[in-house]
Amino acid sequence: MEEYPEELRTPPVTLISIVGCPELHTTISKHLHSEQPPINTLALPDFTKISLFSKPEPADPSPSPPIGILKRDWLTKHRTKIPSVLAALFSHSQLSSDPAAWLQVCSHIDQIKTVLRPRNIKLLVVVVLSDSNEDVSEDRMLALRKRADLDSKYVVVFNQNEYSQSLQRLGSVLAELANLYYRDEGRRIKLRIEKKTFSSPGLELHIRYCFKVAVYAEFRRDWGEALRFYDEAYHILRQMIGTSKRLPAIQRLVEIKIVAEQLNFKISTLLLHAGKVAEAITWFRQHNASYRRLVGTPEAIFLHWEWLSRQFLVFAELLDKSSAVIKNISSLVLATTEKPLTEWESRPAYYYQLAAQYLEEKRSSFEIALSMSETANEINNSAESVVPSTYVGQFARLLEQGDTFVMQPLTDEEYIRFAVAEGKRFQDSFEIIALLKKSYESYSNLKVQRMASLCGFHMAREHYAVGEFNNAKPLFEGIANLYRQEGWVTLLWEVLGYLQECARKHGAVKDFIEYSLEMAALPASSGTDTQSFRFKDCGPAGPASLAQREVIHKEVLVLVSGESGLASVENSTNLKITGDNPLHLEIDLVSPLRSVLLASVAFHEQIIKPNSSTLITLSLLSQLPLTVEIDQLEVQFNQSDCNFIIMNAQRSPLASMVDDKQGCRVETSPSLTLSTNRWLRLTYDIKSDQSGKLECTSVIAKMGPHFTICCRAESPASMDDLPIWKFEDRVESSPTKDPALAFTGQKAAQVEEPDPQVDLNLGASGPAFVGESFIVPVTVISTGHAVYAGELKINLVDVRGGGLFSPRETESLSMDSHHVELLGISGPEGEDETQLGTDEIKKIQKSFGLVSVPFLKCGESWSCKLEIKWHRPKPVMLFVSLGYSPHSNESTAQKVNVHKSLQIEGKTAVEFSHQIMLPFRRDPLLLSRIKLVPDPDQPASLPLSEKIVLIVSVKNSAEVPLRLLSMSLEVDNEGIEGSCSMQHEHETLLDPALLVPGEKFKKVFTVISEANSSKLRLGTVCVRWRRDSVNEEKSGSTIVSVLTTQTLPDVNVELPPLVVSLDCPPYAILGDPFTFLVKIQNQTQLLQEVKFSLADAQSFVLSGSHNDTVFVLPKSEYILNYKLVPLASGIQQLPRFTLTSERYSAGFQPSVTASTIFVFPSKPHFKVADVEDKRRESIVAE
Amino acid sequence: MIVCVAVVGHQNNPLYIQSFTEADDALKLHHIVHCSLDVVDERVNNPKKSGPTLNETFLGLLYPTENYKVYGYLTNTKVKFILVTTDLDVRDADVRNFFRRFHAAYVDAVSNPFHVPGKKITSRTFAERVSTIVKSFGLSSAG
Repeated sequence: MEEYPEELRTPPVTLISIVGCPELHTTISKHLHSEQPPINTLALPDFTKISLFSKPEPADPSPSPPIGILKRDWLTKHRTKIPSVLAALFSHSQLSSDPAAWLQVCSHIDQIKTVLRPRNIKLLVVVVLSDSNEDVSEDRMLALRKRADLDSKYVVVFNQNEYSQSLQRLGSVLAELANLYYRDEGRRIKLRIEKKTFSSPGLELHIRYCFKVAVYAEFRRDWGEALRFYDEAYHILRQMIGTSKRLPAIQRLVEIKIVAEQLNFKISTLLLHAGKVAEAITWFRQHNASYRRLVGTPEAIFLHWEWLSRQFLVFAELLDKSSAVIKNISSLVLATTEKPLTEWESRPAYYYQLAAQYLEEKRSSFEIALSMSETANEINNSAESVVPSTYVGQFARLLEQGDTFVMQPLTDEEYIRFAVAEGKRFQDSFEIIALLKKSYESYSNLKVQRMASLCGFHMAREHYAVGEFNNAKPLFEGIANLYRQEGWVTLLWEVLGYLQECARKHGAVKDFIEYSLEMAALPASSGTDTQSFRFKDCGPAGPASLAQREVIHKEVLVLVSGESGLASVENSTNLKITGDNPLHLEIDLVSPLRSVLLASVAFHEQIIKPNSSTLITLSLLSQLPLTVEIDQLEVQFNQSDCNFIIMNAQRSPLASMVDDKQGCRVETSPSLTLSTNRWLRLTYDIKSDQSGKLECTSVIAKMGPHFTICCRAESPASMDDLPIWKFEDRVESSPTKDPALAFTGQKAAQVEEPDPQVDLNLGASGPAFVGESFIVPVTVISTGHAVYAGELKINLVDVRGGGLFSPRETESLSMDSHHVELLGISGPEGEDETQLGTDEIKKIQKSFGLVSVPFLKCGESWSCKLEIKWHRPKPVMLFVSLGYSPHSNESTAQKVNVHKSLQIEGKTAVEFSHQIMLPFRRDPLLLSRIKLVPDPDQPASLPLSEKIVLIVSVKNSAEVPLRLLSMSLEVDNEGIEGSCSMQHEHETLLDPALLVPGEKFKKVFTVISEANSSKLRLGTVCVRWRRDSVNEEKSGSTIVSVLTTQTLPDVNVELPPLVVSLDCPPYAILGDPFTFLVKIQNQTQLLQEVKFSLADAQSFVLSGSHNDTVFVLPKSEYILNYKLVPLASGIQQLPRFTLTSERYSAGFQPSVTASTIFVFPSKPHFKVADVEDKRRESIVAE
Repeated sequence: MIVCVAVVGHQNNPLYIQSFTEADDALKLHHIVHCSLDVVDERVNNPKKSGPTLNETFLGLLYPTENYKVYGYLTNTKVKFILVTTDLDVRDADVRNFFRRFHAAYVDAVSNPFHVPGKKITSRTFAERVSTIVKSFGLSSAG
């Protein structure tokens, strides 16, 4: 666009001229320029210069046929030389002073009028007043107007006192006049078009007139009319093709195209300026369609392509500029039903790309033209004198004739010579690259990657063509990546061909080999489609075909064998792969070279024992077209000891290979030949003595003396498809023979720890009892390994899986968070703990212990004892693990672990129960008992000052016999000392009682409560026991007695108001009467009214009152006296006595046992022994 | 005249590409087909622009290169068909008709139990059928 002349590129601006009063010119022109729309001013210094505007007399008055379409300088003339209005400025002094001055004015006006009339330039007379009191007389003004032959409004008074106002007025009048001028001119020419005043065969004038009308309309800013007439001119111009015979053929077409280009530019600009993007694009499409085929004669064809390229470039630039204004170009509704516009047609990128494409066309045809002209004859210097002629699109030779220049028309041959000479001055490549770059960037910004990569490809090709390999390479690589991803083999082949050549010319051997190998391994088969590629159309690598792949492969093979080198262009050295310059390729999981060599490694077993061998299958696949012979394969593992080398038996081992891998396992394979798409499967033994992960990392293939390919090992189970081959319809076989292994095979295996050869025994049996220190003997016996740095870990775990007695769980039950705790670990017998070395670890927590095991030789044993105490009955799991290393030097590396666990039940050894017994046949009325609903939680009530018997029994709930050592009741209520007295004899049992499981041991205590207290603590039962072991004699000392305590529940002590005691003999004799006394004792200070009744009994004859109500005096006793005669023998029920206290509304009855008596049939004869009425006795009962 | 037809898979990989031209521009046609995938992507991702053609398999004119017109078609399995023609005045109905027949041929080809989905179509029958369809293109309108 920049090459267009300024007047064409910008919309025309009104031009006026001012003359006279030169001191005001600057102000006025500045003001006019800032007007909206602006007006350009041509300031003439004095009236003599007016002759500049005079129209030259036509040399030949007779109308001659036009020799061109548009005059080159016409537009410039109207924009810069011919004003639309002339404003003549006259000062007050000139007008109002002496007549001589007035005459001067008159002559000026006459002169102006004669000059302006032929051009129809409008005249404006301005009277300049410099002072407010200056005034021009009416007569003068009238005379002035008459003289100038002007309407009164075109004689303007410019008052310098009202500067801005005057300027405004002047500006508006000037604009109006200018508008009038352009309209009149336009009309005048339009009239000519309508009247067809021009000769009919020459369409030139028609076009010229249309163009002029359009330009005048543009001056007026009447864009619609401008567009209409440009459009008309354009269409008439199109008709000229083939009809005009004025110029030689080539130049004729050149002229038409250049005019068409200008018209198209104007139309496109106007359309885009009006925001009609869609119309502009449609217009341009038509323009392109109507001229694209007009290639012209073959020798001038490059001119056509150049022209076309320029059309696209200019339109792209216009679109670019307007799209900056119209932001959301994409949201415009572009599509019409008839001619839908596609996405990219509204993008400048599309036009830049085509501009570049046509410029390429131009270049190639220009080269042909150049060679033709060079072979014909050397270009003479006459081209230098060729200049653009007066008409747009025409060229002429400038001839010097004396001191004048004469334009001489050119012949077509001369013109072509000129054009070729001109064309040689341009570097098309740079132009093309610049265009493509614009397009590339624009597409990239739009995320249109394929279009962008096509542009990039063309760009890179240009760079390549001019030898800028450094610029070309990254572009090619980016494009190659896209094609690799999407599997466009033919396109990828072409790009790789360029890359290969770049590498060759750079002398980059590694790159060259990589690109060559990738190309050779591409799935380009000689299909029907690829055969149609001709050499010219392909990249430097030739057509993509199997044959070509083989050629490339062979070339690589020769190169890697080191026999010949790579001819480099840049430093002209022959690059060879030698010992000093070895070549090493890396193929990883994402490398495009995976199809060159793919290594899959599968262990046959996932878990292997140390030092036992397993099989490993190594599978190699290559898609190279020819078979590949590998000299040597090196398989590398993460455990470098396992690395091994596979030698090809058919190749003689090279000396260097053997040397540098000294001490490495070497296998020999009869053949290491890779054929296309066929797995080479090798299976070998592998053995590792190191536990942990054994992983195959890479496989290094050596081909030729100095060429290696390191291929990352892949697991068959998780192997990706080959990137490009996955779209190919090929035979796919699994890397291993065993199909299951192909699905599950992994390149890594787990090597187990060596089997421990140490026994770990936990020697506890049976349940543990709460309270005792339960001893678990742990024995470590070495049965094959020596134990170095042994470490014993002990863990106590809740069986229910609740972890290690978390405090949260047990908090509510007891403050002691551990129900079971590890008390200690004692060493083996005879070994004192102080003897343990300071460096040995011994750590004991409540549920965790750590103890170090001393060095044990093979066959030795070591033991220790764990002491565990249960606080609550609970089963626990005891885990003991021994970690050791079998070798002294590898204390850090290899640890062998032995684990043992044992579940131990924690149980309660003894169960307590107790019973409180009141005195026989003596029933107190306890008020707290006479509730309707007895409360089970209420503590038992005891009468005050009564002798009460407390029986405590201990039951062996364990499964082993226990020996009871002592049993006692400890009273711990110091605060209420003496509130009750306990009486019992010796605590310890002289002969420890043996309790078999389930057996009970009872002990009787007498309690007399002496204080009326609501809470009486009975005390704590303490039982000391131990396990009754058979071998007591041997290890008696070690069995420690256990003290188990239980607090007895509290009791209430209260004073009974009434106590009823029955008094009768211990036995009766049939028929023998006896006395039965019922004593009612009032222990209160109140008179007690009691009701009693005595029910009849079957076996007795009774005398005495049955029912009565009596009063018992305070603190006294009332005795009821009965006489009974037993009528039956045996255990007999005495008559039931019932008492009801009126005061407490409570009745009670002595218990049934209390009112039972044994009746002998006759008087028994007792042998009275030494029966002592012992109050305390120990009874061993069931 | 149809100069090139192509079947393009899910990963924008060519499944079948065949040019029917004697000239040496097969590679150029590959480029054109490849670039037209951008337009397909654009149409498929921004369906609002194409408004009435929503849910239609026929994508219409993808882009007019200077010498060719490129048409697209998207099957319900997201396989793309691309047609490149040198006829500058093509009736939509003809193109639609072509794609319908081409789609039928494609369906038959991939229904072959020996065809692995996602792999290139190597069936010779398919190729023959396609060339028949290509040859008969535009004849209906002429007749």
